[in-house]
Amino acid sequence: MSHNCDEASRQLYRYLDDELDQLTAARIRVHLEECSGCFGSFEFERRLKGVIRSHLEEDMPETLVASVRELIREEQAQEHS
Amino acid sequence: MADKADFERDALQYSRQLFSAAMRMARNAADAEDLVQETYLKAYRAYHTFEEGTNLKAWLYRILTNTYINKYRKDTRRPNEVDLGDVEDLYLYRRIGSEESAEAARTTEDRVLDGLVESEIKEAVEELPESFRMPVLLADLEGFSYKEIAEILDIPIGTVMSRLHRGRKAMQKRLWEFASKRGLVPQDAERP
Repeated sequence: MSHNCDEASRQLYRYLDDELDQLTAARIRVHLEECSGCFGSFEFERRLKGVIRSHLEEDMPETLVASVRELIREEQAQEHS
Repeated sequence: MADKADFERDALQYSRQLFSAAMRMARNAADAEDLVQETYLKAYRAYHTFEEGTNLKAWLYRILTNTYINKYRKDTRRPNEVDLGDVEDLYLYRRIGSEESAEAARTTEDRVLDGLVESEIKEAVEELPESFRMPVLLADLEGFSYKEIAEILDIPIGTVMSRLHRGRKAMQKRLWEFASKRGLVPQDAERP
């Protein structure tokens, strides 16, 4: 494992989470083009992150927004009374 | 300072996202609805103190998180830091990659990523101890930055990073168990 691979694996999540400064991110991007080993792991983690996100999104009960508005109406009525 | 008259217009757009996060906190729809309603009511009451132009979404999540912790955390004996065990980095990827050929590993990667179902992902998140579940939800479901997560949870940014890292690894271990149980990975790739 080269020095570059070492840096890439240490920064993997910060890279995928878009938390790196531009220079470091660019250095890793270049490394990923040159190193299929690191590219494989980054690509897998990136896809996994997407899969997790898509499965965690929920449909909201249709009545929820209406009941929130209702609660706010009641609160306003109390404020003005 | 924000005008209360603008509250519904500005804040209700986040209701679906807040509900998704509330579901993973409370683990059932009725409590999640209560959580979201209570969050909005508290936010409305305090909206005149909210500084316009700052991060409304993060502020709502902070209220949601605190509401959840105050209302539903019954097990106060639970230590703040839980030992998740020592899970290696890239747990899932490395297990899959332990197959003979690179080509076979790619096929298994696809099978796992396409094959994991919603209930398994949800269970893997919900099983995380709260101090790890929150950062994972805020980062992976909501896409908040580390700095925003630190502000929402009121913990240092270094703590956010380490909990996020360990929480994700623990999830991967669980997902591997689901994948092997359902035969998404070749049995000989399994190790004790």
